Amino acid sequence: MADTLSSQPLPMRLTRLAYIAGILILCITPFLLVFAISFGEKIEGAAWVWGFELDNYKRFFVGADYPNTTSFLYLKFLWYSLYYAMVASILAVATSFPFVWLMTRLSRRAQTCWLIFFLASLTLSEVFVVMGWDILLSNRSGLPALFKETGVTEWLKVTGWLDVLRDWGLASPRNVRFKPTEFATILTMTYLVWPYAVILLYPPLSKINNEVVEAARTMGAGPITVVRTVVLPMVRTPLIGTVMLLFVFLLGAYVTIAVFAAPDKHTLSISVYEAVRGATLNAPFGSAQAVILLIAATIVLVLGRVALGNDEGTK
Amino acid sequence: MGKLISRIFMGTMALWIALPILVVCAAALNGGRTMFFPPEDPTLQRFVEFFVTEEIWIRSLQNSLIIAFGSASLAVLAAWPIAYWLWRKADRFSKLLAGLASMPFALPPIIFGVGLVFFWGFSGSLGEIWSGIVSHAALFIALPLTTLSIGLQSLDRSHLDAAATMGATESTAFRTVILPQMLPFTASGFFFAVVLSFNEFIVVFFVSASAYSTVTVQIFNSLRNGFTPTMAVGAITFISASILIFSLIARFGNLPQLLGADKSK
Repeated sequence: MADTLSSQPLPMRLTRLAYIAGILILCITPFLLVFAISFGEKIEGAAWVWGFELDNYKRFFVGADYPNTTSFLYLKFLWYSLYYAMVASILAVATSFPFVWLMTRLSRRAQTCWLIFFLASLTLSEVFVVMGWDILLSNRSGLPALFKETGVTEWLKVTGWLDVLRDWGLASPRNVRFKPTEFATILTMTYLVWPYAVILLYPPLSKINNEVVEAARTMGAGPITVVRTVVLPMVRTPLIGTVMLLFVFLLGAYVTIAVFAAPDKHTLSISVYEAVRGATLNAPFGSAQAVILLIAATIVLVLGRVALGNDEGTK
Repeated sequence: MGKLISRIFMGTMALWIALPILVVCAAALNGGRTMFFPPEDPTLQRFVEFFVTEEIWIRSLQNSLIIAFGSASLAVLAAWPIAYWLWRKADRFSKLLAGLASMPFALPPIIFGVGLVFFWGFSGSLGEIWSGIVSHAALFIALPLTTLSIGLQSLDRSHLDAAATMGATESTAFRTVILPQMLPFTASGFFFAVVLSFNEFIVVFFVSASAYSTVTVQIFNSLRNGFTPTMAVGAITFISASILIFSLIARFGNLPQLLGADKSK
């Protein structure tokens, strides 16, 4: 870099420096600001001031009033952030893996059509996805109404399944009920990343030659055995990598949680927004929560990397 | 038998992906003010409202378009030099720069959104539409960076050697050999960024600071007062636009290659 810099005229070098500075300022400063402000202090009735205190972090882990009282409210939000994201990303990878495998065995043309379909649904905003599932799951118009009309609800009542569903929190005394439930939240989040899982698993799976499969087939292995014993070990690393990526992506899910999760099961993204732009307006505390979310994401990614690294080593 | 089972499985999965989209499309036909499925009293009135009569949707659609095309152009322009350095030099500095530029896309967007609120707040431009454009450009620079890198790696080096032996300077070779071959990859990166910016919600939600709204933000705001069928028209428009754009990428570029499939197959 240095030799090209000095061999060029001054205006060119200045443009280049300005460009690099611009990229760095735009892409990095926002993260640094979040980190710096998380140590700041909120002034009652005003905005906030810079500072270097760990109060916001203390509040996150044990509550603002510690040691008089302890509150684990924000730890609970963090737990739900991790829990929803982990379950949904594992579900998405587990169900999309067989699909992508079958898809990569199709003709090139058919593959392109499927890819367009998934890319279009992949880019679909979280807002639209939530809207669709909201219509499908809401009590007045969607599946509950359909169940009632077609008599499924009656049948559930007679056979006693409705009571079972009520134990699972999926029904009211009168009908099935999906809002607000963990079921609807995880379903929508799985849906949200399903096309991502397809796109991420597509390259490694499409590189597996048909010859490998045919060799195993001629030795008498059935199609499921082939996938289990030949294909699955070949793509272990991308599978785990995909789970990690989807997990990090889902940590930031906002609309789904706001619409489908009960308020006591909300996640950090909701409380971050509330603190930064919403009702509670406490920017430093919001930043501290964002930093903790980021650290949690990093820890999971590092753990995943370590697990994969060991895996590679033992092979 | 096995073929039948796999067909059924793929069909079920396609249905599960298509189901909410179909429901939203059908709900747009509702005659009344509430969102029902199946639609009651089907009408196309909602389309007229969305595109012609209702000021608030027309303005959000305009904002969405301005931000999507503005930020995608900016992202492509900003990504070109990095991708080029990365390909020519592949030194530690260019790798670091590429990594840092991809950070906003790789981390949960809510954190970048919070940071941008502070960033634009300090510079006094929070809520300006141009700051929204720049925010999205920073968020999505990773996309053209990726397609351009894929494209540059697939360039035939012998063409460049030929150009060099015939006395072409670096800039001439760039203009006459590299640029024409890179056009499809530039366009793909641009359209990936357009579509994602179009559908992006959380970052605009933060940086618009209620001063303006895009279609996604407007839909989220109306969501609190219950869905109306007009919103569904917005969804249909967006889905159709995405399918159209990706079909164009597939037609003029090589979609499986861009997504990392084996080239030889």
